[in-house]
Amino acid sequence: MPTTPRTSILTVVRYLLLDRFTFLVLPWAWAAFGFALDVVVLQIVPTGATGQRWVGGLAAVYAVVFVLGVQAVARTLPFALALGISRRTYFLGAATLAVALAVCFGVVVTVGQAVERLTGGWGLRMAYFRVPGILDGPWWQTWLTATAAFVLLFGYGMWYGLVHRRAGLAGTMVFTAAQAIVLAALAAVTTWTHGWAHVGHVLATTSVLPAILAGLAVVLLTAGLVTVRRLAV
Amino acid sequence: MTPAIALSGLTRRYAGGHEALSGVTVDIHTPSIVGLLGRNGAGKTTLLRILSGQGFATAGSVRVLGATPLENDAVLRRMVLVREDQTYPDMKVRHALAAAAMFYPNWDADLAGMLLDAYELPAGRGIKKLSRGMRAALGIILGLAARAEVTLFDEPVAGLDAVVRDMFYQHLLDDYTAHPRCVVLSTHLIDEVADLLERILILDHGRLVLDALTDDLRGNAVTVTGRTGNVDRFVADRPTLGRRTLGGQSTAVMVGRLDDRDRHLAEHLQLDLDHLTLQQLAIQAADSSARATLISAGTD
Repeated sequence: MPTTPRTSILTVVRYLLLDRFTFLVLPWAWAAFGFALDVVVLQIVPTGATGQRWVGGLAAVYAVVFVLGVQAVARTLPFALALGISRRTYFLGAATLAVALAVCFGVVVTVGQAVERLTGGWGLRMAYFRVPGILDGPWWQTWLTATAAFVLLFGYGMWYGLVHRRAGLAGTMVFTAAQAIVLAALAAVTTWTHGWAHVGHVLATTSVLPAILAGLAVVLLTAGLVTVRRLAV
Repeated sequence: MTPAIALSGLTRRYAGGHEALSGVTVDIHTPSIVGLLGRNGAGKTTLLRILSGQGFATAGSVRVLGATPLENDAVLRRMVLVREDQTYPDMKVRHALAAAAMFYPNWDADLAGMLLDAYELPAGRGIKKLSRGMRAALGIILGLAARAEVTLFDEPVAGLDAVVRDMFYQHLLDDYTAHPRCVVLSTHLIDEVADLLERILILDHGRLVLDALTDDLRGNAVTVTGRTGNVDRFVADRPTLGRRTLGGQSTAVMVGRLDDRDRHLAEHLQLDLDHLTLQQLAIQAADSSARATLISAGTD
């Protein structure tokens, strides 16, 4: 089997970064926008008696990352193929960029969380970089979770792009429905076995969550690599 | 010498049984400019997509520069195919050129700049805001400036006006002369490109129905027009592809080359002789019985 030279993968990364706005500005712009919006909202909403004030602005970044993943397959891949890049090399390049961006994003979230703790939630008791049960552990766990979730969402977006290119809108609907059925089945099984308390305990108290996210991200990327090789454009 | 492109029994069958390509076998040597001709849906784009590793063959073998192109970076980086319906990322024209410059070691930035001016393409404009003709021009610039050893053009002049089409033919010829390579271009406008092409491949319903050198085909068939009796006398014992009679006048399509004696006879019989254009030949070639006649005459 032909191999992929490392330089080609880095060239694909440079190719993707031609669109600097999408990859380097858009996620951060959304994060900043979410932060600003949350600050404004907290100024308006009356302060509760105690505790942190949880806001969900950080989720906007992950929505952007998902769209980046979709676009990477839907629009950027066909042009790369026109310019003599193999699907495999393109996919490895896109995944490399996603992981690099994810690592940076993880650092920002980790540092942001530390600052947030030191400043008493930006003086507003705002929990922007902290999410209960998900992003509120030690720094390494925060970093790992934020990084893995970033890669996961990018890979998930690429999957949607792949399915849409191969199977169109109808296929995408079936793909979504299938996931809903799997989740519903898992939920049903958990309910029948009275396992919810156990699941909650595992997710909340140990470092299982980042491991699960990272594992899922690896599975998605590997399966994506297999699928992209069968994609006609 | 290993051909630049070697196809053997290439077949592409879609779910539902439709065969876009059926057993196409052909070798293309380099350097050469080859025309891939045929009607809409004849399989031209499918063939080019498979050649460039963008599509998949159902059966048969594809070798480009001595190896299978599919997922083979070593071969793919020596090829380029910008399709007529190319999907571009959300980027500006200059980004698309920058991308090609990254991927092609022989990329000629000066040529790209010159062509950008020649086709009046605004480098700072988003690709999705380009008109159809401008998009076609972008495809041409990418294809030419990449200087890829195997350069594939899929309907490169579709949507371009006659002036720009002529410009493209001139640019292609100039660049090919300076940097000979293997160029395959698909088009409907056969007669326009006839002077460029060394060889012609005609696809019809997924089958390769004609594979001939342009020089062999040119002047290989004539229409003979005049009084029916005289036309009959002139074409007697010679292969013909068709004939039309109106009143006392007849027109026959005759295969074979003419010598001086033929011309004198035609003059004597007051007959008009016209060479068939490649376009007319291509139409004839889609008909299987005519094809056999044409090819046997062409290889005499």
